[in-house]
Amino acid sequence: MVKRAVTKRRRRPESTSHQHEGGRCLHILRELSAFIDDELSNNICGEIRRHLGACPRCEEFVASLRQTVSLCRRSPAPVLSPNDRARMREKILAAARAR
Amino acid sequence: MAPSRQSHSSDGHPASSHGEADTFDALYRDNIDLMYRYASRLCGETEAAKDLVQETFLNAYRGFKNFRGDAQISTWLYTIASRACLRMRRRRKGAPERELSLDEFIPTSDGEFRLQIPVEGLNPEDALQNKQLREALDTAIGKLPKKYKMALVLRDMEGLSAKEVGAIMGLSERAVKSRLHRARLFVRRELSARGLAEDTVSHQGKSIT
Repeated sequence: MVKRAVTKRRRRPESTSHQHEGGRCLHILRELSAFIDDELSNNICGEIRRHLGACPRCEEFVASLRQTVSLCRRSPAPVLSPNDRARMREKILAAARAR
Repeated sequence: MAPSRQSHSSDGHPASSHGEADTFDALYRDNIDLMYRYASRLCGETEAAKDLVQETFLNAYRGFKNFRGDAQISTWLYTIASRACLRMRRRRKGAPERELSLDEFIPTSDGEFRLQIPVEGLNPEDALQNKQLREALDTAIGKLPKKYKMALVLRDMEGLSAKEVGAIMGLSERAVKSRLHRARLFVRRELSARGLAEDTVSHQGKSIT
């Protein structure tokens, strides 16, 4: 079901400094939202923190994910004008009565 | 669970003898801004958002007598709006819903780990003063397949808990969290790769199509 993304990507890591440490990065990348949302057990949180401390790339990854979530949280929402609010109410009531 | 009908007691109980119109007015007045905000975030443009709000309140008007009061009114309305949104989009487009594979987001290069969102040194409010960034965020959210978009909008923009989002979308908390994570990873990649300020963004990352 899941496509192997790797086959689509030709770009390979240019440096070998980042070892995936037996899949630890992969494992951690799956947990980063739960990590940001503080939903993980202390044990797993500790493991992730230790990994982040030792792995600048994952550290940067989580920083950009945090920024993304912050932007979503603070993104302004449009507001209806009082006129639009009243007009819409009339339309809804008219439609409710018509059907 | 909190019997939220009581939250409308300032204008009488919604099912009181004031009649349907009064009941509707209380419901409308208390929730119109919330629903318009949600609809705008889901639809991305004004007219579609207004259509969705109208459809939502029309369905709420008709369905109020069936509302059992075992959920908050806002949760009930979010649910109606979400279902209406799924129906409206299907009618208009009929494009199949894409799955976002987690593998799609697993970085395979240094550049992909290090995609930067150009908000360095700014708090989110200040960063969002930047029109390009705001537009890129809206565009990224707009590109999300809708079941991921709903999870992201409800959780990260409307501020609901994973449990509430699960109730609205008919999903387990676990499924909500999984969708949310993929949605966030998608938006992160879109935002960074958009090159909001072309000169400040590294182009090491692969381009997104």
